[in-house]
Amino acid sequence: MTAAATPRAADGRRGAPDIADAPSIGGASAIRAAFRAAADDGRAAFIPYAVAGYPDASTAEAVALALVDAGADLLEIGLPYSDPLADGLTLQRASSVALDHGATLKRSLDLVGRVHAARPRIPLVAMGYVNQVLGGSDGTGVLRDLAEAGASGLILADLTPDEGAGVEENAAALGLSLTYLVTPTTPPERRTMIAERCSGFLYAVSLAGVTGARRSLAPGVGRFLTEVRAVSPAPVAVGFGVSTPEHGRRLAPYADGVIVASALVDALDPDGRDVDRMAQLARNLRASLGR
Amino acid sequence: MLDEIAARRRVDVERELAGRSPRELARAAASGPEPRDALIRLLRPGLHLIAEIKRRSPSAGALVSGRLDVADRARAYQLGGASAISVLVEGHSFGGSIEDLETARAATSLPVLAKDFVVDPRQLPLLRAAGADLVLLLAALHPARRLARLVVQARDLGLEPLVEVHSRRELEAAVATDARLIGINNRDLRALTVDPELAERLRESVPDDRLVVAESGVRDEARLRRWRATGFDAALVGEELMRAGTDAASVSARTAALVEAGRVPTPAEDPGAAARTPFVKICGITEPRGLAAALTAGADAIGLNMVPGTKRSLEEHEAAELVRLARAWAGEGLGPKLVGIFAGRDAAEVDAVARRLGLDLVQLSGDEAPEALDLIGLPVIKVLHVAAAPGGDADAAPSVALVDELVARAQAFRACSNLFALMLDTADASVPGGTGRRLPAGLARAVATRVSVYLAGGLTPANVAGALRDVSAVGVDVAGGVEERSPAGPGRPAKDPVRVGLFVKRARAARLDLPTVASHPQPVDPGLVEPDAAGRWGRERQFGGRFVPETLMSALLDLEAAYRAIRREPGFWAELRELGRRYVGRPTALYRADRLAAELERRAGRSPGRLRLYLKREDLAHTGAHKINNALGQALLTRRLGKERVIAETGAGQHGVATATACALLDLECVVYMGAEDIRRQAPNVLRMRALGTEVREVTSGSATLKDAINEAMRDWVTNVATTHYVLGSAVGPHPYPALVRDLQRVIGDEAAAQLLAVEGRLPDLAIACVGGGSNAIGLLSRFIGEPSVRLIGVEAAGEGLTGRHAAALAGGSPGVLHGSRSYLLQDDEGQVLEAHSISAGLDYPGIGPQLSALFEAGRMEILSATDDEAIEGVGLLARSEGIVPALEPAHAIAALGALLAGKTAVAPLSDDALVLLGLSGRGDKDLAAIAEWMERAKR
Repeated sequence: MTAAATPRAADGRRGAPDIADAPSIGGASAIRAAFRAAADDGRAAFIPYAVAGYPDASTAEAVALALVDAGADLLEIGLPYSDPLADGLTLQRASSVALDHGATLKRSLDLVGRVHAARPRIPLVAMGYVNQVLGGSDGTGVLRDLAEAGASGLILADLTPDEGAGVEENAAALGLSLTYLVTPTTPPERRTMIAERCSGFLYAVSLAGVTGARRSLAPGVGRFLTEVRAVSPAPVAVGFGVSTPEHGRRLAPYADGVIVASALVDALDPDGRDVDRMAQLARNLRASLGR
Repeated sequence: MLDEIAARRRVDVERELAGRSPRELARAAASGPEPRDALIRLLRPGLHLIAEIKRRSPSAGALVSGRLDVADRARAYQLGGASAISVLVEGHSFGGSIEDLETARAATSLPVLAKDFVVDPRQLPLLRAAGADLVLLLAALHPARRLARLVVQARDLGLEPLVEVHSRRELEAAVATDARLIGINNRDLRALTVDPELAERLRESVPDDRLVVAESGVRDEARLRRWRATGFDAALVGEELMRAGTDAASVSARTAALVEAGRVPTPAEDPGAAARTPFVKICGITEPRGLAAALTAGADAIGLNMVPGTKRSLEEHEAAELVRLARAWAGEGLGPKLVGIFAGRDAAEVDAVARRLGLDLVQLSGDEAPEALDLIGLPVIKVLHVAAAPGGDADAAPSVALVDELVARAQAFRACSNLFALMLDTADASVPGGTGRRLPAGLARAVATRVSVYLAGGLTPANVAGALRDVSAVGVDVAGGVEERSPAGPGRPAKDPVRVGLFVKRARAARLDLPTVASHPQPVDPGLVEPDAAGRWGRERQFGGRFVPETLMSALLDLEAAYRAIRREPGFWAELRELGRRYVGRPTALYRADRLAAELERRAGRSPGRLRLYLKREDLAHTGAHKINNALGQALLTRRLGKERVIAETGAGQHGVATATACALLDLECVVYMGAEDIRRQAPNVLRMRALGTEVREVTSGSATLKDAINEAMRDWVTNVATTHYVLGSAVGPHPYPALVRDLQRVIGDEAAAQLLAVEGRLPDLAIACVGGGSNAIGLLSRFIGEPSVRLIGVEAAGEGLTGRHAAALAGGSPGVLHGSRSYLLQDDEGQVLEAHSISAGLDYPGIGPQLSALFEAGRMEILSATDDEAIEGVGLLARSEGIVPALEPAHAIAALGALLAGKTAVAPLSDDALVLLGLSGRGDKDLAAIAEWMERAKR
């Protein structure tokens, strides 16, 4: 509750870094506290997304900090991956540029650590693919490194509860929350099952499709979110295709949080360096989420 | 309409029967000609034709113009192979008469069905008097009890009743009677409308211990083929034959075509069928009639019970007489194996009795130890007893300890050289032999996946097919289930010939069309053979699974449900097999490549002429590769799913071409994703796909090859999942794809095994195939997983060498998740997927399917590899020695076989006279440009 009660500085940054060791109190609690704080503030939580290492390591850090300073309640940090099959063109391209410019999982974790050190009040949620955790040379090591870097939680785009028990257990032991996704194609009984397995928040995918900016919201998304929220013990954040403040305004009443990724990456321009333009969009999005 | 005809018939019958006493009618019936056996033909394998003669009908109007020569037509039907003739005897609406029936019967030796509207039991003796052998009873015309009475009355007169139904309610009434023949008419006789699918829908509600006839709605042979696979024993066809012309030649030709469509595939047409067909033993034969029934039915073995004190036990002299009869009737060395059943008797004594009787096999049904088999000079069937299904849930998963204990007992007997088979039966300590009660299904299932067993205990014609579909047993045994239900008198039970015939027919047909083979001579870990409910493979279930974005989960669950359904649906596989036969050119040839073998031997420094090398020629399949097997199957499945759009990925273009072909044939919209790099390498296949009406979408992300094409196809699928089926081309991906693709490709190995058995009398010493994702390899190797004498080798693409860029996921990779399942893949320490490299686009993939990963990890499959250079050389070797230009993919296997012969590999060497089966997965036309380019580079 301390997080919710902490006054917010005029520049959007949090007040005193009194809970610097966020993982020790549990990533899930930190995440839920952030959602509660936004709700107490009469808003849906704003959850922007930065791609680690895109377009390069130092710019990525500037992007992440700018997003926090634009009023993020939580920040998602994308871990570049060779085969991002849930992602549309924007994030595929960002991932591949980052990898070409030397992004590695270790450097992505360094970014998490630096952002956490600089803005310790903001829960950081890493988003990647399951092979980054289960494959490679060391399965649980990745989760440990993530927790040590200060992340509060983890999202794996190609992991469902059906295969997630092991990751869940390891993550929980390390104080990391694990977020699963529900989609409009998820049958009702499955939605409940998935929601009940999420420890931090539940990710509601607004459409049947991959990530990427869209001009309009999927039809029926309001009803979908209402149904999902009705069965979810965890806060529900909506993402995929959310691109404009107008989208934000329309979604805010139906969700506990709104996730924006591709539109922000697009705003960085093709070279990925127009941080000011992106920050402006982030501020506008953040402002659109009042209820 | 029906009620009108029936009312008029009542009036007519009253007139015809006026003044005829019951006694006179009985005399008339008795004076009729000797009845012809109406059932014996229908008990033979397959669907039989009841060909009908009718002049006109209320639905079709006049069917003949001018005079109809009934005798001529009846003879033409018999000449064409019909099993019975149906004759309309109703006059007002159908223009028939009792004279037509008499004429038809006199002209042939076939049984004749009186197609009348029986409204009064007194019609029956008159029909019999005229010579009718069968009579139609319409369930719609009678309340249930009267119908049951009519059935008994007809049977008493020697008329076999065919009870016809058109609805589930009528069917229930029909099944409640003693009728042995039940007909399902697709035509509603009241409204005269035809629902062509009705018979197929209702078939599963008819117990398997009845013979089942489908009626009406035949327009082409495809319908009859489906009826055969769905489990019908006969089709009654009228209109289609009446319209076949009037000259005898046309009529008999058309008849023959329909008869042909109902026939079961021959071994040449479906070589794999033999391995799906169970061994059938009829046990407890007590008298000559039962013996004759078992011989006629074509049982594989008959059992003579030599256990004193049991109800079917024989004295030695009685057994000797039955043995003499069996040998005399079947011919020496022919006919079923004769088995003596013994229990708890001294082994030396058993041996002596068996020799005196001249038996072929001994069955030990007591608590004999494995050592007992050493004292018996004949092959032995050993019974393993388990407690009968308890009152509770027989289907429940059995305790692991119980299964392990049974498997261990089985293992002990398998070590005996004269063990013929193991049989699971239920037992009760108080009774010697079996109890006649069912085995707990869960237990039988669990044991049968690990050891090859026969099933016994409580089997009947009604349940044997279900049991064989449920449990992968290699044989069945029956005694009580085929006996007369109400014995004529006291004494030993006797066999009912119709039930014996039905049992054999149902058992043989149970898996005939299904993709499963129950042949595991060696206990195999179940994880190497089938996935568990979550789609995981491997001894520790550490491979496979479903790692996909949530959006795809419901589609995968739907697909899994559909896959589970079709896996048990003979009609689906029969249709696919028929397409395979007529469209793909299956079975593909098994070719003995002596010149290639000699060339490989020479190069290896061996003396030529010892190695026997057979190529399974999937390059001869339509579209030039094995990929069509999977594409056609999944396209048919797409129709079942009610989807209209198909997407696919392709590497070499072979899967893309195969999918484009299947979609053109089955009228589906098709989009194929292909890496830009592959589009460049495989230009001719791109043109072929476009010519077939498929849209080819270029993928430029990542390495712009197969792996990225799969990513892109999955993205499309995520977006269009409601309307689209994703035809994945290899045995990779999330569950159920690896199992589905394996089922569709295993025809390669099933055929090859049977073809090899036919020419060599044994299975190969080595089965070897190239491996990319692995659909060709798992297709070829599946059949041999449980055959301990067969070495399995997968050949990976070593590209520029295993220390450079390559595509060898097993040799150079580690377990991780790629494209939705856990398996071996090429990846770095952080789990980033590495780009594969191979000159062969079809092998240029960084992963491999979960079942092959499991086989490799368990040591059941060995691996070799071949480089780009070696593969090119392999192409040249086969092309120049045999005149076959292979694709680059199987050329890897040829090269690796050469290295193996030369002893240049890390795996155990191959003996000089080895029998080798090599999967030639595709032809090389698509690779000519790549080969030319390579040769050009090599020159410089």
